Amino acid sequence: MMRLGWWLIRAQLLARRSATALSMLAIALGVALGYAIHLINDAALADFSRAMKAVQGEPDVVIAPRDGAGHIPLALVDQLSRDAAVAVLAPVIETRVRIGDTPLLARLIGLDPFSAALLMPTLLPDQAADAMGSLLDGAVFASPALAEKVGADATLMRGAARWQARIGGELAAVPAGEKLLVADIAWVQAHFGPRDGVGEIRIRLSPGMPLAAWRAAWAPRLPAGIELRAAEDNQARVSNISRAYRVNLNVLAMVALLTGAFLVFATQLTAVAQRSTQFALLGVLGLPPRLRLLQVLVEGLAIGVPGSLLGLLLGCGLAVGFTRVAGGDLGGGFFSPATPVIVPQLLPTAGFFALGCLASLLGALYPAWLNRIQPLAQALKTGFAQGQARGGGHARGRDALLILALAVGALALARVPAIADLPLGGYAAIALLLMLGIVCAPLATRALFGAVARARLPAPLKIAVQNILQAPLMAQVAASGLIVSFALTVSMVTMVASFRTALDQWLDAVLPAPLYMRSKAVPLPAELLADLARADSPFQRVERMAASSFSLDPQRPTVALLVREIDRRDPGAQLPFTGAVADVAPGGIPVWISEAMQQVHGIAVGQRLRLPLLGREIEVTVSGVWRDYARQFGAVVMTADDYLALGGRFEATDLALWPRPGQEAAAQTWLRGAATRHGVEATASGEIRELSLSIFDKSFAITHALEAAAMLIGLFGLAVTLAASVGLRARELAMLAALGFDRAMLGRAVVFEGALVTCVGLALGLAAGIAVGAILTHVVNPQAFHWRMPLAVPWPPLLAVAAATLAAGMLASGIAARRATRLPAAQVLASAQ
Amino acid sequence: MLSVAGLGKRYPGAARPLFSELRFTVGAGEIVALVGESGVGKSTLLNCVAGLEPADAGTILIGPDAVDMARLDEAAAAALRASRIGFVFQAFHVLPTLDVAQNIAVPLLLNGIDAAEHPRHIEELLARVGLAGFGPRWPASLSGGELQRVAIARALVHRPSLILADEPTGNLDPRTADEVLSLLLERVRACHAGALIVTHSRHVAQACDRILALDPEGLR
Ligand SMILES: Nc1ncnc2c1ncn2[C@@H]1O[C@H](COP(=O)(O)OP(=O)(O)O)[C@@H](O)[C@H]1O
Ligand SMILES: [Mg+2]
Repeated sequence: MMRLGWWLIRAQLLARRSATALSMLAIALGVALGYAIHLINDAALADFSRAMKAVQGEPDVVIAPRDGAGHIPLALVDQLSRDAAVAVLAPVIETRVRIGDTPLLARLIGLDPFSAALLMPTLLPDQAADAMGSLLDGAVFASPALAEKVGADATLMRGAARWQARIGGELAAVPAGEKLLVADIAWVQAHFGPRDGVGEIRIRLSPGMPLAAWRAAWAPRLPAGIELRAAEDNQARVSNISRAYRVNLNVLAMVALLTGAFLVFATQLTAVAQRSTQFALLGVLGLPPRLRLLQVLVEGLAIGVPGSLLGLLLGCGLAVGFTRVAGGDLGGGFFSPATPVIVPQLLPTAGFFALGCLASLLGALYPAWLNRIQPLAQALKTGFAQGQARGGGHARGRDALLILALAVGALALARVPAIADLPLGGYAAIALLLMLGIVCAPLATRALFGAVARARLPAPLKIAVQNILQAPLMAQVAASGLIVSFALTVSMVTMVASFRTALDQWLDAVLPAPLYMRSKAVPLPAELLADLARADSPFQRVERMAASSFSLDPQRPTVALLVREIDRRDPGAQLPFTGAVADVAPGGIPVWISEAMQQVHGIAVGQRLRLPLLGREIEVTVSGVWRDYARQFGAVVMTADDYLALGGRFEATDLALWPRPGQEAAAQTWLRGAATRHGVEATASGEIRELSLSIFDKSFAITHALEAAAMLIGLFGLAVTLAASVGLRARELAMLAALGFDRAMLGRAVVFEGALVTCVGLALGLAAGIAVGAILTHVVNPQAFHWRMPLAVPWPPLLAVAAATLAAGMLASGIAARRATRLPAAQVLASAQ
Repeated sequence: MLSVAGLGKRYPGAARPLFSELRFTVGAGEIVALVGESGVGKSTLLNCVAGLEPADAGTILIGPDAVDMARLDEAAAAALRASRIGFVFQAFHVLPTLDVAQNIAVPLLLNGIDAAEHPRHIEELLARVGLAGFGPRWPASLSGGELQRVAIARALVHRPSLILADEPTGNLDPRTADEVLSLLLERVRACHAGALIVTHSRHVAQACDRILALDPEGLR
């Protein structure tokens, strides 16, 4: 029995080499894309956590201010150090500094060498006594990435504060790429503050002290504005930063695999159709029905197993190649561009292999079932029964019901809120929409071909159309494959175009000034601000903003705090609000939150919030929601006046500048000079705009690769099925030729039929694609990335792809028709048994 | 070898049953011709006997152990066909992707017989149907008469107790038809199997041991 199965598979694979190779490639492509994305993301994430661990050590608990600008009071440090359950307590002050008047920015970490030796040994110079001594004496040690750029001395600057520091040596153990400086905590405190506290405390608990119990004991004793993060919180935060992005890429790759499954489906269905008489014969001779099913499934696996293996190899190569050339970031901008090491792990590798096999099995399932249920006597007599338009009104009613159910299901799923921060409902709705497209294929084929059949047509065309009406299965399959792949392409193109259009409009709204100046999270030098304030500066208006961050949830990425010079009475002049702005009672503090903030934390306009700022919890009122495509994890805007009134220090990090009329050129020159002098960034709004759009394009480059893969696989499927549907009728075509029909005319009829089938696929694919695109923009994007945008369908590229596909479909039909009508009619009629 | 009683069949949607209350037997080593006008239901009767078409009523006892085909499910019917029945069709029906020897080996494989024992057995059988040395050839290179000889070898290779043949010479020219028919009869007799042969040819019918004529009223 096994031997018989093997004979059949071998014969099958040999007889249909090109279709088999194409399906194998399609599966390989899907697996390779998914696997490569997984490997790259995994390596980048591992790299990221490794770097974080090297710098942070592996404390059990970190106690940190929730406000990025805040600190831990010394009294608390004292209290904690007296807890017997605390084995090691390492106070740390971390701040960002500029080195000299260069654009070099570094993290300056102040630590206590004795506790750091136990908790963060990588941050200490070699244990030689003189190095430790010089650290205590105020020497600064640099990571390899910085050591090569700084000399024996360096001026460290932050706002108005500066420290003329001596470089004591290199920290060889710090991972490459990290730009950091380490100094004794007392020296950092003396130069940059905070005077009466430390930045954060890293703690290792005594062996035997359960973390949960310790946490429960301490959490209530911590002052407001200070949070306790366990190691796993940190890990969750690191992973949460890029999780949605990673999941989304994987879903896209799975979609490529799904189209691969569809190609296996098309291949296996034609394989079953072409061999229906053979299978019927085997059944008559006594091949058990179970094996008729199994044989086709195994044939699917015979495509899937090598395809998946090839995919794993390809994916691994792709991942290694990509990281060599472009580093560990796939375009999301979450990971460093350094080259991470690709380490395939057994479980995920097995998982992707299984997915590839599953896809091929899935594709073979329906053909196998059709093969199982073919009535033997009939199939032996007349060949493959192509799911005639039997059932009539009954089947049509069932189809309509199914369509309704799928549509309602998709709508309902699209309204499901995010589950575990992932748009699972949206993804499921997309799957239902694709199914909906496929289920509509028979109805649309029947409708279109029925209408065409009623028209006055030349005889060969009429015969071709009649043929599809009577035996629509292959046409439906061809159309369905196209529906899936074209829908995916349309949806991704639509989503990206909508996003880009929205981004473009948003950039207009948020870049009102002609010039900008920015210093990443480090306050701008005081002298620069003083120069700008002088009467002879070429600027008529300068608007300042101070950006920092605070933590609302220890497991989630931090939220940006933007303190801006905003007119309380008219915030709409400076912020692109998405809805109405609520008035805030005179005594209250208004804040305006970004859409991301609104969604991540479920906050409504008019709601009161308690924000952990300035070492305490401050009650504010949400007065409006504005669009922000820059900060995925949320931002809160507060007026500088309110922030100052609360006791905060307004240290500008960003400036928007309006030159005096007529002095635009002078202003630019002035600004560029100041930027080089102080090592800050100065850009024209046009440059920011260009840069933002180019970053956007780069981050979606990979989706274009996935689109192309899906479309290519779809075209393969279309060609294979159209060719097979013609091949199945070689005998009929030969008979028509024998009856005296002109071969060229017959060829044209087949091309006409192929064009109609392709049109059905394209039309349904377009409709399903726009619907899926709407789900991507209105459900997946807001839920996964917290951006909202209006839908914008980019007709010209979509129509161009459709036209190219139509041409390809007609070409495939034409070639198949040529092949079918080329043989002498007598030979075909004699051999087609 | 075959004992049919009370057999009735009506296709769904047909105005009247094709036949009902049919009763006949085919003994071991007996060759029975089934004749009748086109469309009367000969092929349907054969299909019912083979378990390819469900019978509405009756029993169909096959083989020395008299298993009732009418009461078997699809899988058991397939197993019974594989072990007890050999087929020869009008349209040859040889698998084009297997060579001649492999085609003949199919029934053995379906019966789970060790593949290693085949070559000599199949060579002998090929020689007996006049196709010595044809084992490695592909069906596409064979003539109709040769194909039907392959089909005969395949129908007999697993020593079935019943041979069912539906117009086995219908697609052959008269001379080849004669040769193939006498070969079939000879081989069936040699194997001591029973045979039910549907035919339009009076000549063929007369060469059989007994003739059953099917008409709308029943068997005669
Ligand atoms: N699958 C079927 N469904 C419905 N009617 C059938 C089917 N197969 C055969 N028939 C009808 O049954 C009758 C007998 O057919 P058949 O057994 O093939 O006749 P014969 O072999 O005697 O020429 C014919 O009228 C035919 O139309
Ligand atoms: Mg017949």
